[in-house]
Order: sequence, then C-alpha cells, then structure tokens
Amino acid sequence: MKKFNITVNGNSYEVEVEEIKGGSSTPIQRPIQQPTQQRVSPPKVPTKVTPKAETVSAPKEVPAGANTVTAPMPGTILDLKVKQGDVVAKGQVLLILEAMKMENEIMSPSEGKIVSINTTKGASVNAGDVLVVVG
Amino acid sequence: MSNNKLEDLQRRKEKIILGGGQKRIEKQHASGKLTARERLNLLFDEGTFVELDAFVKHRCTNFSMEKEEAPGEGVVTGYGMVDGRLVYAYAQDFTVIGGSLGEMHAAKICKVQENAMKVGAPIVGLNDSGGARIQEAVDALSGYGKIFYRNTIASGVIPQISAIMGPCAGGAVYSPGITDFIYMVDQTSKMFITGPQVIKTVTGEEVSAEDLGGAKTHNTISGVAHFVASDDEDCILQIRKLLSFLPSNNIETAPVYETEDDVNRIIPELDELLPDNPNKPYDMFDVISKVVDDGDYYEVHSQFAKNIITCFARMNGSTVGIIANQPKFLAGCLDINASDKSARFIRFCDAFNIPLLNIVDVPGFLPGTKQEYGGIIRHGAKLLYAYSEATVPKVTLITRKAYGGSYIAMCNKELGADMVFAWPSAEIAVMGPEGAANIIFKNDIKNAQDPVEERTKKIQEYKDEFATPYKAAERGYVDDVIEPNSTRPRLVDALNMLMSKRENRPAKKHGNIPL
Repeated sequence: MKKFNITVNGNSYEVEVEEIKGGSSTPIQRPIQQPTQQRVSPPKVPTKVTPKAETVSAPKEVPAGANTVTAPMPGTILDLKVKQGDVVAKGQVLLILEAMKMENEIMSPSEGKIVSINTTKGASVNAGDVLVVVG
Repeated sequence: MSNNKLEDLQRRKEKIILGGGQKRIEKQHASGKLTARERLNLLFDEGTFVELDAFVKHRCTNFSMEKEEAPGEGVVTGYGMVDGRLVYAYAQDFTVIGGSLGEMHAAKICKVQENAMKVGAPIVGLNDSGGARIQEAVDALSGYGKIFYRNTIASGVIPQISAIMGPCAGGAVYSPGITDFIYMVDQTSKMFITGPQVIKTVTGEEVSAEDLGGAKTHNTISGVAHFVASDDEDCILQIRKLLSFLPSNNIETAPVYETEDDVNRIIPELDELLPDNPNKPYDMFDVISKVVDDGDYYEVHSQFAKNIITCFARMNGSTVGIIANQPKFLAGCLDINASDKSARFIRFCDAFNIPLLNIVDVPGFLPGTKQEYGGIIRHGAKLLYAYSEATVPKVTLITRKAYGGSYIAMCNKELGADMVFAWPSAEIAVMGPEGAANIIFKNDIKNAQDPVEERTKKIQEYKDEFATPYKAAERGYVDDVIEPNSTRPRLVDALNMLMSKRENRPAKKHGNIPL
C-alpha cells in the first residue's frame, strides 16, 4: 500500500494505492479514479454554460415536415404580420425584425399554416432563435 | 502514301472519338449528361476545336491494366475559339474507365495548362471523373499534384474556370478549388472530399450525396461553387457568357463591346428609388440594373452570402466588377461569408485589370458570438486587404448607409478609392444616430426634465448634422455629392478618366493576406 497526496483545484486529497501483482490493470485504476472523481467535483462548481441560442432554438413542438423560421440576426421584433392558424404563401412577410438599423422583412420559406408563433412584438431575439413555425 | 495508312489513321481516330463506346455514351445521355466531346463542341465556336494528344495511352501494367483500352485516356483536351477568342479546355470523359485520372490522363491536362499559360489564354476544365485510377497507384496522385501545382502557377495569369458536370470527389476537388470560378450542374454534379459512405463510417452522420455535395449545397451553404446551371448546355452557355466579361490574361484588358446604351442616360427613377424611411430595405439590383449598359449583369455567387452582391457588368462597353451591399438581405451587413465572397471577387478583378465599382449601403458588421468565434476579424480583414491591395480603378458610390468600420471596409477614400460619389441620402458617420446620441449627449439626456423627449431631440440633431454626406465631403473623403439621376454619366466618366491609372507599390514577393 502506497500513500499519495494529490492536490486538485487547491484541495488536497490523501489517496491510498495498492499494487496487485499479477492482476489485470483495471482493478488498479478503478480505486484511484473513483474516489478522486467523486471528490474532485464539488457540487458548487458551475456547470458548463451551454450556448444560449441552442437552448432557445429548441422548439417545443415541431410537427414533422414543418419549417422553422429563425432570426437571421440579433434584433427586436417590430411587428407580427400573421397569427397562429393563418395560411401563408411562400415569400409572404411573417414579421418585421429590426436589426442593423433596418426593418428586415422575415419571409415564409414555404407555403403552409402558421403552427406556432414563438415570439412577441417588442421581444429581443438572438440569431438562431425560432420565431415562427410554418407547417 | 498508300491508302492503307490513311485508312489506318481514319480507323484509329474513329475509335478514339467514340470514347468508351456507344453503349456507355447512351448511358451518359440517359443520366442527363452530354459526352465530353459534345460539351466541347458546345463550348467552342463551330468548327474551331483542335484536339491534342488524342493518341495518348496509359502505360500501367498493374492488375492487368495493360489489357484495358482507354481511348483518349479518359480526357479530351485542346483549344478553340469562344466568340472569336482563343480558349484552352479539357473535358474528362466519363465513358472511358469512369473518367478516372491516371498518369497520362493528368499529363494531357498538364500540357493544355502549360500551353494556355504560354500563350495567355483562359482555360476551362470540364470535370466528370470517378477520381483517381486506383490501379495506377501513386502515379495517379502524382498526376493530381502536377495539376494542382499548375493551377496555382496559372492563378492570376490566365482566368481558370472549372465546371463540375458529374462526380468530383476526394483530391480531385482541389483543382477546381484552386481555380477562379466553379460551375455546378444541378442534380448531376457532386463535389466532396469524403463521400457519404466514409462520413457514415467515421462520424455516423447519414447524408445523401446530393445534400452533402450537390450544386445547391455548394452554391448556398459552403460557397465552394459560384454558379449553378440547370443542365450541361446551360452550364456551357454560362461559361461562354462569363468569358465575354474577362480578358484573356493578366496583361490584357477585357474585350470592349459596343453598346447602344447612351452613356449620358439620365435615370429619373433613381431619385425616387430609396424609401422615405432610411430603415426600410430596397433591392440593390434596382440600382445596378438601371445604371449598367443595357441592364445586363452577370452575378457571381448569386445564392451565397446574399447580403453582398458581386457581379460583372459593362459601363460604356467595358467590363466592371461590381461589389454592392444588398439591404434586402441581413440588412446588407458584412459578415464572414460576405467578406470572403467579396474579397475573392475583388482580387480576381484586380488580377485581371477589371475596374471595381463599389455601391455602398452598409449598416455595419454583423454582431454575435457566432461571427466573433468564426473569426470575423480574420475574414473581414480580407476585404480591407483586397481593396487596399487592388491597383485597378476603384470607384465608390455611397447610396445610403456607410457606418463605422464597414464604411472603410467597402473601399472608402483611404483604402484607395479613386473617386467617391455619394447620393444626398448618404449617411456617412462613425455610428448610427441612436447609439451616437446616447454616448455624446449622455449627460444632457440624463439631466433633462423629459429624458425620452430629449433623447429623440438629440438623435434628430445628430441625424441632421452628421448622418449626411456633407461632413465627409467637407474633408474631401467624398469627391462629390451627386443627384441619383445622373449616376450613370458620372460613373462612366469617372471610369473613363481612370483608364490610364498607374499605381506603383513597393516590390515584394507577395503580401500575406489574412486567410
């Protein structure tokens, strides 16, 4: 049995290591890894922040074959031109996104029915946020 | 000479002309493709194509290859006339061992590459090949390497145009990749480094060949291809059109076409074109099509980075390269793709003595982590670099917004614009009125009885005072503020005046453009 002092993130840990002769290498690794891993990850360490756009862009319900219309740039929703259930043509203006000093017309990528509107007038949106789902 | 020898020659040629044989030709047609020879006949003016190296044979003996006959070695090479001007070309023949590339196949291509450089004529490569001829092992790889090397040496010396008219996979993609322009035929062309099978094995992703490397993918998402064609004939006709805008080499200028379009044509519609509200978009093509000769322009990368337009057109019969912001897409802002697209176009034009016309309505660089992490600094720098480096005549017209760094990046006076025009609607300023007012009048707004009203007032004050072309004109950054209706005569005049422009730069091996 050998004793080691290991310092992780400023916390020092005492670890005992036993060498088993003739055995496979796995049992040696296990006792070392398990305790250190458990102790190293204290509960208060902040979890890695996932990119905001990703979490937002995951739409709640998108039926198969539906098209999601996402914000091409970060900006503010100036006006909504359609409501849920409306039938729209391809290229029809769905909403106005004010971004880059411009009132950008966001158009429908396909013809179909407005399945859901995931934003509101005046809302600030990020690039990639789902604005409208056209089914 | 005995008739026997003439007949023998005739027989040999007939066999070569038939390529992989009638059956394979029919198969080629059935898959919606023309044969290599049919393509070349379409490309060149009737009866002008001269074939080279038709008798070349491979000399591979691995895997019983000595028994394999490959008429023409799977590629037809030669030269001919396009609108009366000399052009070199090669067309891979898919009917002969799948158009696969071996040592001698590559040698044929290398020869036309060298000849084209020697005489200063454009070269067109029509790609339709299954890839390396595996039996020829490293000789095939050596062949690719030689082609890539010549592509690079020829870059900036003669225009190099590639068309993908069938498969083009693996290393083969890098010859087109180095050339100036890539055409892809819709549905029949595919381009990728590793195919769907390999991708599935390595990463587990399932993707069809069309989605991975079809014409649409490379014209819209990757930007690898510059043009999409509906079929083989459309592709060849488009190449002929492109060639009409280009000089034969880096010493000549592009051919001048006589035009009936009056250079002094006044365009009253341009006075009314811009919306009253400066925050409303309009279509920049309305400006371009009205100003250029006969409303005729040929767009490069029409489906990629649509927030910036790159196109060839003519003014008073001479070719110009137009770079214009498109307010209709992403507000016309500059982002990574727009920077890459326009920088490469600018460098092509500069290499081939094509004057640049920049039409500016740019709100700024696109903000966001995606852009910053993607290296917008690195990519945007290409645009500034390309403009600064270009010594061809550079004429800039500012129609509306020209803010901050993006104003510089669109070739302002300091990057070497020889003439800068602005419409009275131009807003040339360091930043937008809203943002600027918040900073400059921070205390005024904070201490006012009604901060909201004060802010509106100050924004208007800033707009009236600074969001105009006159501050820039006072310093000489803008050469003249012009009426939109007289845009065409003024641009033609400026380009005409600049025809004899000479600009010397310090000698160097080459610059180090941020890639």
